[in-house]
Amino acid sequence: MWTVEALVLCAVFAAAQVAWWVLDRGPDRSVHVLVAWVSAILAVCYVAVMPVWRYRVHRWEATPTAVYTQTGWLNQERRIAPVSRIQTVDMSRGPVAQLFRLASVRVTTASAAGPLHIQGLDVDVARALVDSLTEATIAEAGDAT
Amino acid sequence: MSGPPQLRDVEWRRLDARMLLVHPVQEAVRFLPALLVLFITGRTNQRSPWWDVAAVTAVVLLGVSRWFTTRYCIQHGQIELQRGLLKREVIATPAERVRTVDVTAPIWHRALGLAKVEIGTAGGHGVERLVLDALSATEAASLRGELLHRPVAAHSELAQPVPSAAAAASAADATAVEGEPHGTGEAETVLLRLNPAWIRYAPLTTSGLVSAAAILGFAFQLFGDAVQGREEQIGGAISRAQALGLWALVVLVLITALVFVSMLAVTGYVLSYWGFRLTRHPGGTLHVSRGLLTTRATSIEEARMRGVEVGEPLGLRLAGASRLFAITTGLRRRESGPGSAWLSPPAARSAVDAVAAAVVGDRGALTGVLIEHGRAARRRRYVRAVGGAVVLVCGPAALGFWWHWPTGVLAVLLVLCVSSPVLARDRYAGLGHLLTDRHLVTRSGSFSRRRDVLARHGVIGVVLRESFFQRRAGLATLTATTAAGKQGYHVLDVPAGRALDLSHQLLPDTVSQFLATPALAETPPHSPRGQQMLSKGPDNRIY
Repeated sequence: MWTVEALVLCAVFAAAQVAWWVLDRGPDRSVHVLVAWVSAILAVCYVAVMPVWRYRVHRWEATPTAVYTQTGWLNQERRIAPVSRIQTVDMSRGPVAQLFRLASVRVTTASAAGPLHIQGLDVDVARALVDSLTEATIAEAGDAT
Repeated sequence: MSGPPQLRDVEWRRLDARMLLVHPVQEAVRFLPALLVLFITGRTNQRSPWWDVAAVTAVVLLGVSRWFTTRYCIQHGQIELQRGLLKREVIATPAERVRTVDVTAPIWHRALGLAKVEIGTAGGHGVERLVLDALSATEAASLRGELLHRPVAAHSELAQPVPSAAAAASAADATAVEGEPHGTGEAETVLLRLNPAWIRYAPLTTSGLVSAAAILGFAFQLFGDAVQGREEQIGGAISRAQALGLWALVVLVLITALVFVSMLAVTGYVLSYWGFRLTRHPGGTLHVSRGLLTTRATSIEEARMRGVEVGEPLGLRLAGASRLFAITTGLRRRESGPGSAWLSPPAARSAVDAVAAAVVGDRGALTGVLIEHGRAARRRRYVRAVGGAVVLVCGPAALGFWWHWPTGVLAVLLVLCVSSPVLARDRYAGLGHLLTDRHLVTRSGSFSRRRDVLARHGVIGVVLRESFFQRRAGLATLTATTAAGKQGYHVLDVPAGRALDLSHQLLPDTVSQFLATPALAETPPHSPRGQQMLSKGPDNRIY
C-alpha cells in the first residue's frame, strides 16, 4: 500500500515537470533535463526504500490495559497510551487502502498531542481491534483527563 | 421522585437589565459598515431620511431582542443557556465539567457596573466556552462562587488546601507574598500582588516588539499616503541624513526603535497587569485578577491544575526575572497571545519562585538541580547552532563579498557566526529534566527558556521520538502528553535508555508490559533518591 502511495506522489511530481516542460517556451532545455534526472533518481530511491523501511519499523500491540504503536521510517516514533485514557477509536480507509482491503485505526486520548495511528491493518483485524478497544473504554468510568 | 422536573420549577435567570442599553450599541458597532453605506447612499440619492431611521430602529430592536431571548439557569448539576432569535440554541453542560470561570469587564462595562462571564469547560479536544454578556458585577462574582465551589465538595480529597502558615513560611520576598490569617471561612490568602518595581522588566520581553511590528504595519500604509504630498521636504531630510553618515544614521534609528519598543512594552505591561492579584480561596480555587482598562478575573480550580510553567526568556533571565503560567485543563489553549493562564506577570525571580512553591507545593521540583542530558546532546546543540549559523551566514557573506557590500555588514555577519557557540552552550545549559515523586520537570531553550513542572498524575501517555540523527547519537525526545496546557511537554534529547526509564516511571503498569527485559526501577547512578519511592502508579484514574 505504501509503495502505491509513494508512486502516486512521484507521479504527481512527474506530471508537474511535464507540464513545466510543455509550458516553457525557452530554447534552453538543460535545466529541465537536470531537474528531471535528479527527481527521477530521488523518486526511484524513495519508492524503493521507504515502504520497505516503514514496514520494518511499523509495529503495534494492544493489551487489555494499553496500546502501543511504533511508526515512521527516517524519524521514528513510539507511542503508548493506557486504555483508561482513551476517548475515541476511529477507523478510516483511504482510496488506496480500499484497493488493498486495508484500514487505519486512530485512537485519541484527552490530549490533543496524543492520537495513536495504526496504518495498514487488514480490514477484519482493524474492525476487531476497534470493537475490543471500544468495549474496554466503555468499561472504564470517568472522563479520562 | 414524582417524575422528571417540570420546566415551571426551574428558575430562569436573565442577563442584567442594563444590557438593554449596551446591546444596541454593540449591534450598531457590528452593523456599522452597513449603516454607513446606507447613510451615505441616502445622502447622495436624496432619499427620504425615514429609511435611515428605520435602519437604526431595526438595529436597536435586534440588540434589545438579544436581551429578551437569552436566559440561563443552573439546576440539577447542569448549566443551561438558551439564546437566539431566529436560530434558537440551547447549550447545556454539566457543572462538573466547569474548569475555569473568567470574569472580564471592559471599561464601558465597568462604567455601568457590569461584567462578562466566560465559563470554560473541558470537553474532548476543543474547549467550549459559555459566554454570559453581561451580568451585574455582584451577580457575576456569586455565579463564579457557585460554579467553582459546587463540585469541590465531591472531590475534596484531591484538593490540596495549603494552610496559611505554610504560605507565610515560604515567603521569601516580603513585598511579594503576604499571608493573611483565615479569619472567617471566606478569607482568601493573597499569594502575589503586583510590585510596581517590576515594570522595569517590561522592555525585556518581546511583547513590545510584537506591538511595534503591528504598528509599523499600519504606519507603512499611512506613510505611503503621507509621502505623496511632501516630496520636497523628504528629499531635504534624506540629503541631511546622508550627510550624517551611514553609521550615525543606523545608530540613531536603532536608538529610536529601542525607545519606542520599550515604551510600547511598558504601556502594554501596565495595561495588562495593573493591580495583579493572585489569591487562593480556601474552597480550592486560585483567583487571578489584573488589568487597568479592561479588568479580567480568572478562576482556576486547583484540582484541575496539572502543574506550572516557569518562563525565562533571555531578556528576563539576564535581569533575574521570570514569569509563571498555570498548566490547567479548560482554558483556551495558549496561542501566541497572552492567554488567561498567567499566574504572575514578569517579575523578580524570588517572588515567582515563592508563588510557584505555594501553588505547586513541591519545592524540589522547582529549584532542584536538573539532570543533564550528556555529551551527545551537547554535541547536537553545538552542531545545530554552529552549523545553522554557518549555513545562514556564509551564503549572504559570500554574496556580500562578491558585490562589495560595506565591511560593516560583513562584520556584523561575522559576529553572528562567531557568537553561535555561545548560543549553543547556553542552549545546552538550559537542557535538563528531573523526576520527583509528584512531578516531571523539563527545561529547554535559550531565547525562550521554559521550565515545565508537570504533575505526574496528569500524564496521559508517552511518545518517544527518535529522528534519524538522534538515532545515530543514541538520543530520543520524550513527550509526556496531557490534557492540560500545551497538551504535550517535551524532554528533548535524552539518552534513549533514560527516556525509556522515564516513561516506565511515569506509567509503570502500562509501559512495563511492552519492555523487552522485565525492568526493575533501576536508578541511574546520578539521579536523586526521590525517584525510588513510587506508590500506586500515576495512571490511577483520578478523573
